[in-house]
Amino acid sequence: MKFAPNKLYVESYVKCRNCGVLIYDAGRADAVTKDDAIYCSEWCVDWEADRDRRRAAAAE
Amino acid sequence: MDMVSLNIAGGILVSICRDMGVTLMRTSYSTIFSESLDFTCGLALPSGELVATGDFCPSMIGGMPLLLRSCVQEIDLAELEEGDVILHNDPYRGGLHTPEHTFFKPVFVDGALIGFSVAIGHICEVGGMAPAGFAGEATEVFHEGLRVPPVKIKRAGKDVDDVWRLLLANVRTPRYNYGDFRAMIAAVDLGERRMADLARKHGIESFREHVAALMDYSERRMRAEIAQIPDGRYTFEDYMEDDGITADAYKIRVEVVVEGDGLIVDYHGSSPQARGPINATLGVAWGAAYNAILQLTDASIPKNSGCFRPIRVLAPPGTVVNVDFPGPSVGGNTETHCRIANTVMGALAPGLRDRSAATDGASHSNFLFGGTDRRTGEFFCCYDLTPVGWGGRSFADGNDAVGGINGNCPHIPVEVFEFRYPWHVEEFRLVDGTGGPGQFRGGLSMSKTVRCTDTEMTFSYMSDRQKLSPWGIHGGQDGGRAELFIKRAGSEDWLTITQAFNKPSPSKFANVPIHPGDTIRITSPAGGGWGPVEKRDEASVREDLLDGFITPEQAVEIYGLRP
Repeated sequence: MKFAPNKLYVESYVKCRNCGVLIYDAGRADAVTKDDAIYCSEWCVDWEADRDRRRAAAAE
Repeated sequence: MDMVSLNIAGGILVSICRDMGVTLMRTSYSTIFSESLDFTCGLALPSGELVATGDFCPSMIGGMPLLLRSCVQEIDLAELEEGDVILHNDPYRGGLHTPEHTFFKPVFVDGALIGFSVAIGHICEVGGMAPAGFAGEATEVFHEGLRVPPVKIKRAGKDVDDVWRLLLANVRTPRYNYGDFRAMIAAVDLGERRMADLARKHGIESFREHVAALMDYSERRMRAEIAQIPDGRYTFEDYMEDDGITADAYKIRVEVVVEGDGLIVDYHGSSPQARGPINATLGVAWGAAYNAILQLTDASIPKNSGCFRPIRVLAPPGTVVNVDFPGPSVGGNTETHCRIANTVMGALAPGLRDRSAATDGASHSNFLFGGTDRRTGEFFCCYDLTPVGWGGRSFADGNDAVGGINGNCPHIPVEVFEFRYPWHVEEFRLVDGTGGPGQFRGGLSMSKTVRCTDTEMTFSYMSDRQKLSPWGIHGGQDGGRAELFIKRAGSEDWLTITQAFNKPSPSKFANVPIHPGDTIRITSPAGGGWGPVEKRDEASVREDLLDGFITPEQAVEIYGLRP
């Protein structure tokens, strides 16, 4: 049985910052950490960066 | 593989799922199953991929793929035994909200695990702060009833009594919950037998080949549909009008990126997670995107995980479209699901003009009550949904007063409602003039007026669209808003819930006391209109006028009809 870091529950809900999926232990091998955030894949890192660029350009 | 074999295999699998659903409906205790059919049934592979599903509740059809994928990652498949049944309702692990209970049973043939038989349904009473769930003022999941991570409720064909005791000790209606749980188990038992029989008859390898080919076929069909949408980035926004706690509105923002034969649904830019129970779970965010795409594509595509492969959904955590623990989410599956699905459909409307539709009422006006039966002393609960108007389409007016696009759930018939519960239905009618004007008019809303006969009850409600109208599209106009009024026994004044009880939201609240003689009037939202009113056929306007679907003033002032 695993406990969350806050000791409240039997599971820690680690989610990809971009797509929001739960990252289970089995998915940790593919997970990517960037700027203290966790992503399920490189695809999500790239997508988020591209979206930020597009939205910043649109705002100018 | 030839198409004849593939279609036969697909037809058999879907018919198994439909039979499971009929079993569930006929053996259940609660009206939410027996009358409103708030469930669906499916078959899945050991990987969690959905093989087939019955055409019952769309929100659950779209929600199943993530739910199953999450569950199989938490279960040790090697420890499963024949006769096991696993139960799950956790909103944070692929679930949709606490009432949505999923039962799944492994299917073995000659000792080999070939898949799962699955039933997912809305259990009316789940504990928490309000009878019949949907506590409109919940601020954490613990207000929303008992949360069940995947656990075995049957092991090797025998009840796990400790789990049953725990589940039934935490609800107000243990006898009904017991009956409804048994109905769901009967459904997965049937699915298990039929799926195993099918694999035995044709051989496991042939079964697996057909299933794989069926999912590939669905994927090809869906990709062909998406390829017809012009490449581009399509955006749309809509709002939940409040969260039951404050008067603030919450934005649902979607960007749909179409590239060739695939698409990405990106919800970034949606509002942060709400304090109140309107948050969608990740399962709802996926399910709503899938629901929208299924609404816009060929209905004959077999509904399995294959058709969802070309669709990627991005739902940032900690937002109103992907709730983080311990945020509440009970309204996310009924109210926010349809708002999200319509937002996706609204985004794609420019690229799919002929298949587009204005929004439906997009609220289930969930009517919840509970009390103690004067004759038996037993506590009862009820969850009834209220039909809405559907949006106008490119070829027809919206349907009048039917279940919302994510529910497909009928309301409880008046005779059953009055027989089983202490209410007298004084009025049940279409509301004229509510359909959004347009070339194709939005469907009408409906109104239901009920008077408490002889029992003290509590009344809770989860709805939306009282402040923000259902939108029209392509020049169509907005549909009519929802309303809710209460008239106290001995009074002639119709009051909103805010006026009567000082609740912060008129559409989301918990535990209003109801006394004999009190009367409630629920009016659902209507559908938006499609296309400009100037293009509406004059004969249709005259017919609407004769039918009482529009008012004489609307005929003249909006549609320009001359006497």
